[in-house]
Amino acid sequence: MPAGEIPPHYWEPSLHDLYEHAPVGQASVDPGDVVVKVNATLLGLLGATEEQLLGTVFRDHLTPGSVLFYDTRFQPVLSLGGVVNEVSLTMRGANGQDVPVLVNARSVHDEAGGVRVVRLAIFDSTSRHGYERELLHARRAAESSETLVRVLQDASMAFGACSTEDDLAVTLMESARRAVSGAAAAVLILDEHKKLQPAEGSHPLAMELARLVGSPVERAVEQLAPASLGNARDAGVGGAEIGEALLAARFEAVTAVPLASDSEAIGVLVTFFGRARSIGPELIGLEQALASQAVQVLTRIRLQVQLRHLALHDGLTGLANRILLVHNLNAALEMSHSARSSMAVVFLDLDGFKPVNDTLGHTAGDAVLSEVAARLVGLSRPDDLVARFGGDEFAVVFRDTDESDARALADDLVAAVAEPMESLPEGFRITGSAGLALYTPAAGPLSDQPTAASLLALADSAMYRSKQVERGSITVVRA
Amino acid sequence: MIVSSDSPTEVVRRNNVTILGNPTGRTIVFAHGFGCSQATWRRVTPAFLEDYRVVLFDHVGAGDSDLSAYDPGKYDSLHGYADDLLEIIEALAVPDVVYVGHSVSAMIGVLAAGRQPDRFSSLVLVGPSARYVNDDDSGYVGGFEQHDIDDLLDALDSNYLGWSSVMAPVIMGNAERPELGDDLTASFCSIDPFIASQFARVTFLSDNRADLAKVVTPTLILQNQDDAIAPESVGRFVRDSIPGSEYVVMDARGHIPNLSEPGELVSEISKYLAKRQE
Repeated sequence: MPAGEIPPHYWEPSLHDLYEHAPVGQASVDPGDVVVKVNATLLGLLGATEEQLLGTVFRDHLTPGSVLFYDTRFQPVLSLGGVVNEVSLTMRGANGQDVPVLVNARSVHDEAGGVRVVRLAIFDSTSRHGYERELLHARRAAESSETLVRVLQDASMAFGACSTEDDLAVTLMESARRAVSGAAAAVLILDEHKKLQPAEGSHPLAMELARLVGSPVERAVEQLAPASLGNARDAGVGGAEIGEALLAARFEAVTAVPLASDSEAIGVLVTFFGRARSIGPELIGLEQALASQAVQVLTRIRLQVQLRHLALHDGLTGLANRILLVHNLNAALEMSHSARSSMAVVFLDLDGFKPVNDTLGHTAGDAVLSEVAARLVGLSRPDDLVARFGGDEFAVVFRDTDESDARALADDLVAAVAEPMESLPEGFRITGSAGLALYTPAAGPLSDQPTAASLLALADSAMYRSKQVERGSITVVRA
Repeated sequence: MIVSSDSPTEVVRRNNVTILGNPTGRTIVFAHGFGCSQATWRRVTPAFLEDYRVVLFDHVGAGDSDLSAYDPGKYDSLHGYADDLLEIIEALAVPDVVYVGHSVSAMIGVLAAGRQPDRFSSLVLVGPSARYVNDDDSGYVGGFEQHDIDDLLDALDSNYLGWSSVMAPVIMGNAERPELGDDLTASFCSIDPFIASQFARVTFLSDNRADLAKVVTPTLILQNQDDAIAPESVGRFVRDSIPGSEYVVMDARGHIPNLSEPGELVSEISKYLAKRQE
């Protein structure tokens, strides 16, 4: 049979029959969503009579969840585009049963562009609905565990790249906020006096809550266990202040997870949420996992800081050691050269220290060294560096100074050292002889610039001259 | 960590801010609801172009907004959207605006106006609801149960194919209504499916009842009939909670009078603004 021709004895009784019994439910609704025509297939699908549908509002035959979708999404798209395809909705059958359907819709317009009628084709999707729902839920579960793994992996990499506590705190806050859709976060760290200090970038409310007894933040630190408030409006008896503080900052929920190492609190991670939520073990578990990863890195960073400090400082006095002194001196020279500002280094050797050490013992000697260190540090300016060069020798680097200032500073140091010491019995007296090497950069070539070593050698020999002239005196030399 | 605010140009790009109409007129801002984009105002704005500086925008995640600006933490509550609205008004460089918010944007306006009342000369809330889920404890009827919202989330996921794809345009042959022609060009109503899901949660699970009393801006509430999303009881609750607000029940049926009955909506807004001499 050629295309375009119809077999002579085909059976298709009428267009009316075709409409009524088409293998798809059909309905027409007016612009007000009132059903004006339905076919028998749709009635069969819903188990309804024509009387139960005609003249009723179409959306009234949808489940509430589908009504939300129909009115907020389906209708605007249909109204603006005139067509909607393959939308999954759930209708309510005449006996109240759910009837999952797929809907196509077309608007029919009058000449002025107004909608005359909307035609709906409604496919029964019951058999695939259950299957698709299962797929959907399985996909969500898979996505959520995948998200979990990714969040932890990303965080782990980001933490690993942190080299300072501040970096780490910011990374922890950002990871936590992203992992749980928090509106803001804070990391509070216990300082050496066991007082909480906010890491940079922390939301200030966390510190406020830490001071409120019974708040999740305070509890998490005190009890070393996660604490939370899922709805600021239900803060409970005694929690009104906590709830109000949250609402005032436009938060409705908060979680606090302790940062702990060897069962000892070292801080707390606080996450704020813009909306009330039920806080379950999954969310807390995720925050704890992030917190514990961060703590491991924090421990490593602290150890590195400690090691670096040990490597560059004198164990007895806590002053810079010779390595740090030379490093600092080089930096000071460079700055002096580029800023064309003078700088100085004072070399100071104690007089009368040997008898203390030999007669009273090393403990007494150590006490003298510590006392001298404290006095020197007490007199130095923030940018100065006080170092223990070795034995009973000290050095102080003065940046950005001139001869008279440097001289005055050196006088002060020598005078301070010469002050009596309570720890010393009668007959023992400590003074310091000093050499002051001053460097004023000239416009000469860079090679004329002294090095840390040459400057220290100058100051050292100046100190020897002082000792020869008079103990406790100062000799000034120019580099 | 506090999300930093963006510069005016970034705000304009982020929210796809569109400015039309009379540059010397008073500024009127239209904000779209959940489910679509600024396209939902197309039948309303033409009436205001002559007298007003008309401002439209897309919430982040909708329409032609900058999807990369979406921060799930920030937008996990309506406050994040209210922050954006205040930044948009700031970027417009006008002392204050007339604000027309549809559906969830009614509450976004309520939050923003509660925080910075000076920025708003009038609020027009179209089909507002301060809470969609019934609250048995206080006897509040929002119209929905929690599981209805879960059903919606399922429906969103089942229909995710249709969210972000460009809708196939249909030629409607309407020379009489040229503004409909615009609908054929843009990817109107496109929303990122992931964002749609979170926006649905934020929209339908928020409780803003306590925020209504903070509104001191003159407010018009436009209630639709047979609005399944925001029934009259919900509209009356909003009216009773905003001191001095005006409440008008329109003839418009359903939840989107801006599309179904733009003429009536325009006339109610105009009447109110004329009375307030705006």
